[in-house]
Amino acid sequence: MKKDILAIFAIVLIIAVIINGTEIQSVEEYYLTHIDDITPESETVTISIRCDAVLDNYDDLDENLRSEEFVPPDGEILPPTEYVLRDGDSVFDILDRAVRHDRIQMEYQGADKNKFGSVYIQGINYLYEFSCGPLSGWLYKVNGQFPNYGCSEYEPKDGDVIEWVYTCDLGKDAGCGWLQGRQGE
Amino acid sequence: MKAFDEIDPVAAAVYFVSVMLVGMFISAPMIQLFSLLGAAAFCLIGGRGEIKSDLGFYIPMFIMIALINPLFSHNGVTPLFFLNGNPVTLEAVIYGIVLAVMMTGILLWCRNFTKVMTSDKLLYIMGRAVPALSLTVSMALRFVPMFKRQMKKVSAAQKGMGLYSSKSYTDRIRGALRVFAAMVSWSLENAMETSCAMKARGYGLKGRTNFAIFRFTLRDCIFTVTTLLLLAAVIGGYALGYIDFYYYPRISAADINAGSAAVYVSFAVMAFLPFMIEVKEALKWKYFVSKI
Repeated sequence: MKKDILAIFAIVLIIAVIINGTEIQSVEEYYLTHIDDITPESETVTISIRCDAVLDNYDDLDENLRSEEFVPPDGEILPPTEYVLRDGDSVFDILDRAVRHDRIQMEYQGADKNKFGSVYIQGINYLYEFSCGPLSGWLYKVNGQFPNYGCSEYEPKDGDVIEWVYTCDLGKDAGCGWLQGRQGE
Repeated sequence: MKAFDEIDPVAAAVYFVSVMLVGMFISAPMIQLFSLLGAAAFCLIGGRGEIKSDLGFYIPMFIMIALINPLFSHNGVTPLFFLNGNPVTLEAVIYGIVLAVMMTGILLWCRNFTKVMTSDKLLYIMGRAVPALSLTVSMALRFVPMFKRQMKKVSAAQKGMGLYSSKSYTDRIRGALRVFAAMVSWSLENAMETSCAMKARGYGLKGRTNFAIFRFTLRDCIFTVTTLLLLAAVIGGYALGYIDFYYYPRISAADINAGSAAVYVSFAVMAFLPFMIEVKEALKWKYFVSKI
C-alpha cells in the first residue's frame, strides 16, 4: 500500500503543477485594459484593422461568416485610432491592447508555438486564416510598407501608422510583393 | 436468435454503412441525437453486450471529449472566461458536446456492427472479390473480443501462480502490464497461425467453392430499398441546405421548416429501423406464445 500512496502523491503533484500554470480570468478582467492617456509629450502610433479583400471575394467566404456582424459593409473593423506607444512595444503589443480596449475578438499563436519565434495572428473579429479561400490570412503594414518581420519582432517608432489588412491571395491583393519574392520593387 | 441477425449480410452492411456515413459527416445536432439514441436503443434491445458495465467507459469518454474541445478551440462570440489569455467560449463547449455525442454514437454503431456482422458474414460478402482484405478485416474485427478473452485467461493463470495478487493498485497495474506484454506476442503468433491455416485450406485459390446459408429474400430487398430511400432523402436534404447548421462563430438558429423536418424524420426512422425490427419480432413472438 505504500506504493499506492506514492502514486497518488505523484498524481496530485502533476495536477497541482497544471493548475498553478493556468490563469483563469473572467471576461471583465480580460477586457479591463489600462490605456495610457495621450499627453502632448507621449509617443503614439495609429492602428487600423481592415478587411476590404473579403468584400471583393465574398463568394469565397465561409458561409457561416456571411453577415454584417463579422464582415462590416465598409470593411472597417477598427477605424484608425491613436494609441500610446510604450517603451519596447511591438506591433503585436499594440494590436493586443487595441483589440482588448475595443472588445474585438482576436486569436493568435504564441511566439513559442511556431518555428519563426514570432506571434502569428490566426484571426481577428472571427475572420480566421483560410476563412476566405486557401490563400487568406492577416498581414500588417507600417507606414504603407510590409515589414518582413513577425508582428512581435517589429518595434514601431513614434508616429508610425500600423494597418492590419486581410488578404485573400497571399498578400497580392493588399499590394504586398515579398511573398512572391519581389521584395524591394 | 435476434431478428436483425437474420437479415442478409449485404442488406445489413448497406444499412450500417449508410447510417454511419450520415452520423460521421453531418454534424447537425438533431441528426447526432437520433444517431446516438438509435444506436443505444439497438444495443439495449438486442442485449448486445453489457452496455451497463460499459457506461464506465462511455461516460468518462463523453466528458473528456466535451471538455477538450473548448480548451483547444477558441472561436465563438460568447466567451465564458479566459484561460491563459485565451477565451473558453460557449460555442466551443456546445460543439464539444455535439462532438462527444457523435463519437459515442459512432462507437455504439461500430459495436452493433461487430455484433451483427460476424466473421462468416464478412467473408461471405467480400470473400470472393477481395479474399486477402476480407480475411484481414474479419481478423481485425474479432481481434479485440478475442484479446479480451485471452487476457482474462492469462491473468487468471498469473493469479493462480500467486503473482501480483496484492491489493495495491501499483502492483495491479504492473501485473496488467506484464499480462499485456505476453498478450502482444501471443496475438502476433495467433494472427500468423490463422493465416497459415487459411492458406493450408486453400483459401482464396481459384476454383475453390464456398457454401453459405444466406439467401437474399423479399424482406431483405424491402429493407435495403427502404434504407437507400431514407439515405437519399437525408443526403438530398443536406445537399439542398435544409439542415445547414453552424457552430462557429455564432450558433445558427435552429430552422425548423417542412424540408428540415422531413430530413430529421427520415433519419430518425433510419436510425431506429433495427430497433423497430427487433420490437416487431419480439411482439410477434409474444403473440404466438400467447396463442399456445
